[in-house]
Amino acid sequence: MILSKEKLGALVEQVKISGALFAAPAVDGGQVVMKSVNVADEISFDYVITANSAKEYLFPQTETIAVVEIEKNKVKLSAVEPDAPETVLFGVRPCDAAAFASLRSVFTWDFIDESYTKREDKSIVLSVACTKGDEGCFCTSVGLKPDTTDGSDLQLKETTDGGSFVVEALTDKGKEFVKKFSDVFDDGSADTKAIFTPDEIPGGVDIEKIKERLADPAHYADPVWPELARKCFGCGACTFSCPTCHCFDITDEGDVFSTERKKNWDACQIDNFTLHASGHNPRDTQTKRWRNRFMCKFHIYPKKFTTKGCVGCGRCVRVCPVRLDITEVMAEFSK
Amino acid sequence: MEEQLRKEARRLLTEGEVAVVIGYGWNSRKTRVTPVFITNPDDADKLVFNALCVNNLSIYLTRKYKDIKALGKPAIVAKGCDIKNIVICVSEGQVARDNVYIIGMSCTGVVYKQELWQGELTDNIMPTKCHNCEVRNPHVTDIVIGDKVDFTPPEEPTGMVFDKIREFDRKTPKERWDFWIDHFNRCIKCYACRQACSLCYCERCITDKNQPQWIETSAHERGNLAWNLIRAQHLTGRCTECGECERACPANIPLNLVNSKQALIVKESFGYKSGFDMEEHPPMIVYKPEDKDDFIK
Ligand code: SF4
Ligand code: SF4
Ligand code: SF4
Ligand code: SF4
Ligand code: SF4
Repeated sequence: MILSKEKLGALVEQVKISGALFAAPAVDGGQVVMKSVNVADEISFDYVITANSAKEYLFPQTETIAVVEIEKNKVKLSAVEPDAPETVLFGVRPCDAAAFASLRSVFTWDFIDESYTKREDKSIVLSVACTKGDEGCFCTSVGLKPDTTDGSDLQLKETTDGGSFVVEALTDKGKEFVKKFSDVFDDGSADTKAIFTPDEIPGGVDIEKIKERLADPAHYADPVWPELARKCFGCGACTFSCPTCHCFDITDEGDVFSTERKKNWDACQIDNFTLHASGHNPRDTQTKRWRNRFMCKFHIYPKKFTTKGCVGCGRCVRVCPVRLDITEVMAEFSK
Repeated sequence: MEEQLRKEARRLLTEGEVAVVIGYGWNSRKTRVTPVFITNPDDADKLVFNALCVNNLSIYLTRKYKDIKALGKPAIVAKGCDIKNIVICVSEGQVARDNVYIIGMSCTGVVYKQELWQGELTDNIMPTKCHNCEVRNPHVTDIVIGDKVDFTPPEEPTGMVFDKIREFDRKTPKERWDFWIDHFNRCIKCYACRQACSLCYCERCITDKNQPQWIETSAHERGNLAWNLIRAQHLTGRCTECGECERACPANIPLNLVNSKQALIVKESFGYKSGFDMEEHPPMIVYKPEDKDDFIK
């Protein structure tokens, strides 16, 4: 099946008419980000990976989960239904698509977090396989590929002439989508551009070895930790841009008569993330906080779930103002 | 230059004058530089200095970094612009001048972001601060590394930030408001701007105070505006325009515009330029009877 770029305009239009949101890579603030678009002309094709991940469509930066109203002798507490519009996520990179499976593992683990699942149920992921990448990309080192289909409902591959995509429908949702918008999809096949291959991580990476080393608590005292991680300044940019990071904070906003309970992104890199009410902070240095992030991705996560803790998108490497490169730590712990 | 730097670092560590040298080193692919903490004189060769050395390492001198403090007295590899931040930290009692050895680097400019590096430092990849730099020959140091740089900054500030400010000054308040609301809307409340700034050294930021929650932590229009205003105001007259906050911002919010506009206003109103004099306090944190007040209308 073929989706020609010329017909993308019609696809966006029809999707919008159906009432759904169409999110795609587009320029905003001088960088290519996943954003809601109204016309196909806004869509960028020239990008390695969007600066933000697509997770914010399923797990927004901020949302209201409850409302409290206080009247004279009455307190009214009401839950707020998650706002879950039908959403088309177009141009997601395969690593980001795979990350949705990771988020689902967390949000359906010991409690079904409907604000996530409802949004995921109502969204459809059209990933585009990578034909280019950069130094940050390392999906192949975590067991994925630049044309991994995990988490995608449809996968698109750019044709050699660059004018179209070859489309593969992978799930029932994907097949229904094609049926629903059948006039934009054409039968046929074409040659596609070569898929990008990320560089090997210098020194080599062995995920099993990393897991094994992190399973032994002796590593806590390893002097290599401060050496690798003390430069981190806890900005949280890596966690906020990471497609699998999922931590949030609950906070109340408003006044004494009317309050909204908010669920906002939070990050283990921020200094008061583990600050106890007593004043004690078990992760009192940046080294310990960064170690936690690494442990979360390569020890805690794989111990609990079969999905990936890290999908190798490389955002944390690109965005880090001190260039704390997770791949260097992976190489160190593969020894 | 690097040889001279390494020699000095080796000497400092061998003679025990400092316990750690905070500087720049290569990443494992040798494509980017990253902060390094050298404690062993044998590792002094890891130090590098080039146009990629954009980080302002003065952040590591602040009290948030207890583990770095615990290493002992630091020496810091610092460009003139980084030294401005150290000067403010000293004048505000955060760092004792005797407790830090400043290795001042003669500087011919750096890149705005390392990602822009193509092997050559051209004007268009240099940040605005470098085009107007008064401290290419570092001004407060214990030693200067490198040859004297011949550079006179232009009388009228130039570069993208100032062009934008001039363009901005012609806009209506409504247009300016819309511009900022639009940009701040992209803020994701990661606080990278705060963490990158050595003058945002509070151990408990006002955003962390949640009884009551003075600054809403939600990344909605109100919360984003509140945060960005507070950040700007707490840096008024203190900010040295080092640009680290903007560089760290993952949402590409043009924070240097705010910083430099504020610096211009402070210069005009108080005749003060931050980062030059360790004895003088920034104007917003002290009261002087002779302070101008004709801007209060
Ligand atoms: S840890 Fe880094 S590379 Fe891995 S998924 Fe998160 S942002 Fe991407
Ligand atoms: S982006 Fe870098 S400096 Fe910021 S929290 Fe992550 S590792 Fe630390
Ligand atoms: S502002 Fe001056 S000292 Fe700082 S990097 Fe630019 S040229 Fe060098
Ligand atoms: S506010 Fe920004 S530009 Fe000013 S000193 Fe802090 S990091 Fe540097
Ligand atoms: S770094 Fe940018 S996105 Fe993050 S809190 Fe600051 S302004 Fe907002």
